[in-house]
Amino acid sequence: MTMKSLLGTVSIALLLAGASATAQAQIAVGHLADYSGGTSDVGTPYGQGVVDTFAWINKNGGIGGKQVNLDSNDYGYQVPRAIALYKKWSGADKVAAIMGWGTADTEALTGFLAQDKIPDISGSYSAALTDPTGAGGKAKPAPYNFFYGPSYSDALRAELTWAADDWKAKGKPGKPKFVHMGANHPYPNAPKAAGEAIAAELGFDVLPPLVFALAPGDYSAQCLSLKSAGANYAYLGNTAASNISVMKACKSAGVDVQFMSNVWGMDENAAKAAGDAADGVIFPLRTAVSWGGNAPGMKTVVEISKISDPTGKIYRPVHYIAGVCTSLYMREALEWAAKNGGATGENVAKGFYQKADWVPAGMEGVCNPSTWTAKDHRPTTKVDLYRSKVSGSTDGDLNDLMAKGTIKLEKVKTVELPRKPEWHGW
Amino acid sequence: MASPSLIPAGDFRTTYAVDTTIFPTTTSRNAAILGIVAICFAPQLLSEYWLSQLILIGIYGIAALGLNILVGFTGQISIGHAAFFLFGAFTSAYISNNYPIPVFFSIPIAGVVTAIVGLIFGLPAARLKGLYLVIATLAAQYILIDFFSRAEWFSGGSVPAMAKSFSIFNYELRGDRQYFYVVLAYVVASYVLVTNLMRSRDGRALVAIRDHYLSAEIMGINLTKYRTLSFGLAAFFAGVAGALYAHYQLVVSNEGFGIERSILFLAMVIIGGTGSIMGTLMGTAFVVLLPESMEWLSAELKGGAIDRALQLNNNITFLREIAIGLIIIAFLIFEPDGLAHRWRQIKTYWKLYPFSH
Repeated sequence: MTMKSLLGTVSIALLLAGASATAQAQIAVGHLADYSGGTSDVGTPYGQGVVDTFAWINKNGGIGGKQVNLDSNDYGYQVPRAIALYKKWSGADKVAAIMGWGTADTEALTGFLAQDKIPDISGSYSAALTDPTGAGGKAKPAPYNFFYGPSYSDALRAELTWAADDWKAKGKPGKPKFVHMGANHPYPNAPKAAGEAIAAELGFDVLPPLVFALAPGDYSAQCLSLKSAGANYAYLGNTAASNISVMKACKSAGVDVQFMSNVWGMDENAAKAAGDAADGVIFPLRTAVSWGGNAPGMKTVVEISKISDPTGKIYRPVHYIAGVCTSLYMREALEWAAKNGGATGENVAKGFYQKADWVPAGMEGVCNPSTWTAKDHRPTTKVDLYRSKVSGSTDGDLNDLMAKGTIKLEKVKTVELPRKPEWHGW
Repeated sequence: MASPSLIPAGDFRTTYAVDTTIFPTTTSRNAAILGIVAICFAPQLLSEYWLSQLILIGIYGIAALGLNILVGFTGQISIGHAAFFLFGAFTSAYISNNYPIPVFFSIPIAGVVTAIVGLIFGLPAARLKGLYLVIATLAAQYILIDFFSRAEWFSGGSVPAMAKSFSIFNYELRGDRQYFYVVLAYVVASYVLVTNLMRSRDGRALVAIRDHYLSAEIMGINLTKYRTLSFGLAAFFAGVAGALYAHYQLVVSNEGFGIERSILFLAMVIIGGTGSIMGTLMGTAFVVLLPESMEWLSAELKGGAIDRALQLNNNITFLREIAIGLIIIAFLIFEPDGLAHRWRQIKTYWKLYPFSH
């Protein structure tokens, strides 16, 4: 092919590929997603949830009549790329808000977000993002950071509270042993200090933490350490894919330990992949129901899911629904801002304080009531603990497995933690 | 630039100064100076995005220049360069945060400290060659990265470190438009320094070691000294570049600077042309702009006809990575001497037009 004809073909292809959005007034929202990095196993369904929700919002009239321009980017869970994208979004055409993702980049951006007044609702539930004024003394002020769900620290505190009761209920003698496992990275490390402190308070014997990487791999060494230390309760701080590696390795090594994880540590796809090894893992759920659950709001979620899955056959994991809830909170904050002075970052942040026990319209029974205030960005201190139950072979379609009950997420307990000021930001 | 090839008949120099001049003709010298002056207007004319790309090209260009001294001029090899880059970044952040030293001074100090660390890791170079040296520099990469993720007093451990913005005598530079000039100054200074090095006695010694180290040693060149010096210089430029990067991003994090980045630096040097200084900048520009152009292409294709036809969806991200690798391979097959050689060929073509051969 000559250069000329090649250029001609390419330019025609690009023209046909679709024109960019027309230049009318739009609300710009930045979106950081991890589709290819260390947390891509959970980042992909969450990111899909965000993208689908905003497409659905645009289909149904947008926000205050304006369409939302969601600038979605895969930053591969690398902080430098997130910073570069942030520079783009805080430049001449400032975005009204950011749908953030990872702990490392969100924590690094707290200062810049406050300076540029751009609210960021993240996929990171680090407690360091919950103190808007810094009054708690334990975290930097983060007035423009939000997230939907219990913080990692609160979730771990709830799990340890349950574990202490579980130990007593089983009638085992002596002190239970607790170990924190995770990568040496801000995301797994976020609840470590808080968790070990409350474990000591509740009478646990706190073992030295174990490290395993964010990528799936061979973690038999960590399992043997668990066995020799005699750990009873282990917190897995990474995302589902690498947690599965640990669970499988420990199952083959014959390690008898109760695994607990954070919201990203287990989901239905992970249970299917891990099979037997994922049986009995305790983890929190951010939403009141999972896919296909009995709630009036599930209709909205199904409608949103149809945006990228017209057949309606794909099973959406818990992270997708959490992504939908998070995006709908942002939508209502943007709508409030549009009605109260325009959709600028400052107004959108104020929009998050609009209601107490807030559930987005159309999501009743799915999204848990959340309250953000100017002094406290912990939306909830109630943690719903679930147990993943796998009772057979997990080959086959996930829809069938869930329908048959081979994979089940059964509710264990709802722990209501006190909203202690000394726990704020930590 | 003094050409390494044989000088044809009729082309003779009468003074030493003329022989070692950087620019062979007045036109090329004026063109270079005009180019630098024109680039000074870039912040006013270009958008934020292009400005950030230029700044990144400048910063990585300095680091690649250091690597070119090591790989192109001394004939050694290092896949630990990204670790030195990060070391400079963390050092500059640490110095400017913990000591009352303004950022203006912490950048060169970070370069010197990184050079010292580079000298230490360069000591094996005195005895090792080829593949063995590669493994030794790989060790440097992993040791340093592990050090950064654990040394909380220095780099904050796994949490990214904060760096201050560039300031001179209480005047703080805010924004890319002002930082561009800082990077431009460092790029011009580095490139002039290295060009000067290459036409000095030490530079000739380095080239001699690359071409035939046995003859060089017989002639009296101290191999250990020059090999280690070469590592130190490479680390110095990597450290300065890293420090500039730290004060540009204002956040320093480990990620993205593992072995992949070291190999990308090597790709910058190879694509530009090993042993060519002008080529280093060209190679850096190529490697920096390649993922961006792939990103545009995939953004254009996303959701469009081709995407639906091939059912790519989210796999466009991976297609981009594949494309980058393929382009680098194609480049190495069809243009092994690098962009500098291609540029010289283009210049020769137009010089001899229409009688090029």
